[in-house]
Amino acid sequence: MNPAKHFKQMRKGLDLPLAIAEADRCLLCHDAPCSKGCPADTRPAEFIRKLRFRNITGAIRTIKENNILGGACGELCPTHRLCEKECSARFISLGRPEGADRPIQIGKIQRFLIEHSWQIGFKPLRKAAPRFEKIAVVGSGPAGLSCAAELAKGGYPVTLFEARPEPGGVLRYGVVSYRFSLEFLENELRDIADLGVEFTCNHPIEGPAGAENLLKEGFRAVFLAPGLWAAEALVPKAQPMPGVYSSVDYLSALRDGRFKETARRIEGKTVAVIGGGSVAIDCVESAARLGAKDVYLVYRRSYAQMPAEADERMEAQATGVHFLLLNQPVGYVTGRGRRLKGLKLVRTRLGEPDASGRRSPRPVKGSDWVLNCDVVIEAIGNRPVGGSPKWYPRVKLAGHNLIKVNSKTGQTSVRGIFAGGDIVRGPALVVQAVADGKRAAAAIQRYLSR
Amino acid sequence: MSFPVDLSVDFCGCRFKNPFLLSSSPVSNSAEMVERAFQAGWSGVVFKTLNSDRLTITHPSPRMHYINYGAKRAIAYQNVEQISDRPLRHNLLEFRYLKKHFPDYPIIASIMGFFEDEWVYLAKACEDNGVDILELNFSCPHMCIEGSGHKVGQAFHLLERFTAAVKQAVSIPVMAKMTPNITDMTEPALYAKKGGADAISAINTVRGISEIGRKDWVPRPNVFGVGAISGTSGPAVKPIGLNFIASMAKCRELSLPLSGMGGIETWVDALEYLLVGATTLQVTSGIMHYGYRIVEDLIEGLSDYMALKGVGRVSDLIGRALPHLQETDTFELNRQGIVQYDLDVCIGCGQCHVVCSDAGGQAIEWNGRKRRPRLIEDKCLSCMLCQAVCPVPGLITFKEMPAGWKRRETAVKDMGLEPELKHAPFTKEGPHECVV
Repeated sequence: MNPAKHFKQMRKGLDLPLAIAEADRCLLCHDAPCSKGCPADTRPAEFIRKLRFRNITGAIRTIKENNILGGACGELCPTHRLCEKECSARFISLGRPEGADRPIQIGKIQRFLIEHSWQIGFKPLRKAAPRFEKIAVVGSGPAGLSCAAELAKGGYPVTLFEARPEPGGVLRYGVVSYRFSLEFLENELRDIADLGVEFTCNHPIEGPAGAENLLKEGFRAVFLAPGLWAAEALVPKAQPMPGVYSSVDYLSALRDGRFKETARRIEGKTVAVIGGGSVAIDCVESAARLGAKDVYLVYRRSYAQMPAEADERMEAQATGVHFLLLNQPVGYVTGRGRRLKGLKLVRTRLGEPDASGRRSPRPVKGSDWVLNCDVVIEAIGNRPVGGSPKWYPRVKLAGHNLIKVNSKTGQTSVRGIFAGGDIVRGPALVVQAVADGKRAAAAIQRYLSR
Repeated sequence: MSFPVDLSVDFCGCRFKNPFLLSSSPVSNSAEMVERAFQAGWSGVVFKTLNSDRLTITHPSPRMHYINYGAKRAIAYQNVEQISDRPLRHNLLEFRYLKKHFPDYPIIASIMGFFEDEWVYLAKACEDNGVDILELNFSCPHMCIEGSGHKVGQAFHLLERFTAAVKQAVSIPVMAKMTPNITDMTEPALYAKKGGADAISAINTVRGISEIGRKDWVPRPNVFGVGAISGTSGPAVKPIGLNFIASMAKCRELSLPLSGMGGIETWVDALEYLLVGATTLQVTSGIMHYGYRIVEDLIEGLSDYMALKGVGRVSDLIGRALPHLQETDTFELNRQGIVQYDLDVCIGCGQCHVVCSDAGGQAIEWNGRKRRPRLIEDKCLSCMLCQAVCPVPGLITFKEMPAGWKRRETAVKDMGLEPELKHAPFTKEGPHECVV
């Protein structure tokens, strides 16, 4: 098998008979709890009922109208703690508090319906009568795409500004292909482009007051959704070190044409990934799939405290990744030409819970050791690009250079400027970004209709 | 499980090891197939209907379709299958082979003619080659040749004459197979009895349409652009089969042994056919779907049921539901009940609330915060629709209410409209039956 092809192939989704079988298990609840579990209001109870009654086109319409990234969310959402967590088909009762069955695989049904729409060429979305107020959306990640699509449906001319060469944000440059393929992304993007959204790529909105100036350039409203594209570093402000990558760079490289080069750097090597979140999991698992000799996931707390989803953790272990828990990275060992030779670690033990509610790691004195490795990928958090507040100097900030908004509208402190996605929330889910985009689009339409 | 159980039955003077036979259909088309069925555990066969070679039998292509329900495949089959397209000589040789190698397995030959001489010819040919019982096919609903099959089953004098002709010609027992495409089956069954039939088998397939193509609007099976109303079979037709067997079993004037079929797949289906009066049971659709192997579960399931129930012989089950099967006018209407809920096992899906609101007595309120139903007892119609949809077995049960308990009347939406009402009570006396 061609390993590159294998790497780029997404796992297969349901087909129609399997989706129907799954919909058959649905209890068609009254006042359905699954629908309440979706941050973006994708209305699973409604689209599953429609599928059950062979109204397949209607089911597609429900998803598309409520979540323009329904396919991506179906595949990427941690559904077991959202819609599927609420599913009555788990048979949780007083008599059976642990439940007796599996929830309906809502995410899989959702992904199927969207893929089916592409297969049968069904495009349910309609645009309202044209409006003339131009709107600028900054950033083409999930929040930006969702806001742009919503406004385009409302008839508004929307320009989507993207700093990178191609649209999609984290969906293009932040996920691995075997989870979410570029082909799938292109299909979702085409549905958005079909609504008339104008994609302007290679067009960063930056420089002093660059974002605020859009209001002077004829745009009646601006939605800021630039995301978090700077990486936290183990050694802040250190010079670049050969062999050390941020997760941002590493994951982007696997998607933007540097795949072969990156794969070559991983194959046969010992790779250590620092971090315990979903991004760290993508880094370790991809490195293992690219043929690394040994892959270590280095995390300062223990298994139970890892922010990564349970299924992701188990999948990474099954791929052969070594989980090096209760070890705090403290620096690098380098050789000639600052070439990486190893990762300095100190063992930890868990103390009292910290602000996050998880037991905090305490270094064990005198337990320093070095993990010899060829490559380290730091997956310890993303933050706003340095200096980004200067692009919107009048917009009030929350901590960590995140933007402060009215949580019901996405309105910033500046009239006409709205924001959403990770630049507001910090690292969050795709479906939450979609919700932000929808919410802001509604608020923008109200703002422009006054 | 030491209770001894005997599954064997006597039917038309033949002894069958168990009540389970192949019915006349594609599953009994050749000795090679029937041999494997016997080895799997089937006790006998009604061989696929013979013809006299006078008319060429050509099968339409394709010949079958199916009805799916949700993800469940083939809850019914649709076929335009014809009678045997093999030369009579070949079929008779197959009888010889089966009798030689499986002497303890009765062979029932199904035959279909168009006039008396042809029926007689076929009947004698079968008898001469070792057949134990004849089944006269008066019931195929979709023969490509006009005037045959169920057309005969609907023309009672023909049915009687053909039966009588066969009876006079042969000494082996004769069974008449009935079409369900009729209102009252006891009537043609009595004609068959008058003609001398020793037993009745039912049902043949029900005339139906399985599916219509959404692209081409052609009913299935689509025989090169044409569909036809044809035979529906399988689990979906079981209630129809039970109705006809029960009705004939209750008919004292008929009093003939019955061979029941229509949607039998499991021992539970088989048991129900026995309880309404069938002695032997025939299966095709269940085999078309799952193969001969299902007989293992029919035998084991029925044996264990009988042992657990303390019933030693199949004959002790036959017709045992009939005393409990009466007309609706015998119901005790002064006894009323309601449903009761075991909310400890409720999972909060709320389907009971939906169906009670939209099809029942609006007796179930919904607590959205707790996600639990609340029953308003005096509005409950005891329709049991909530039990039908409740996913938790045993959560909803029926309980009888004490004598004198009254159900609340359905409220009128707006009594304020009474002044506008045009209504005078009906006062004429009349009989309690329909008269012209």
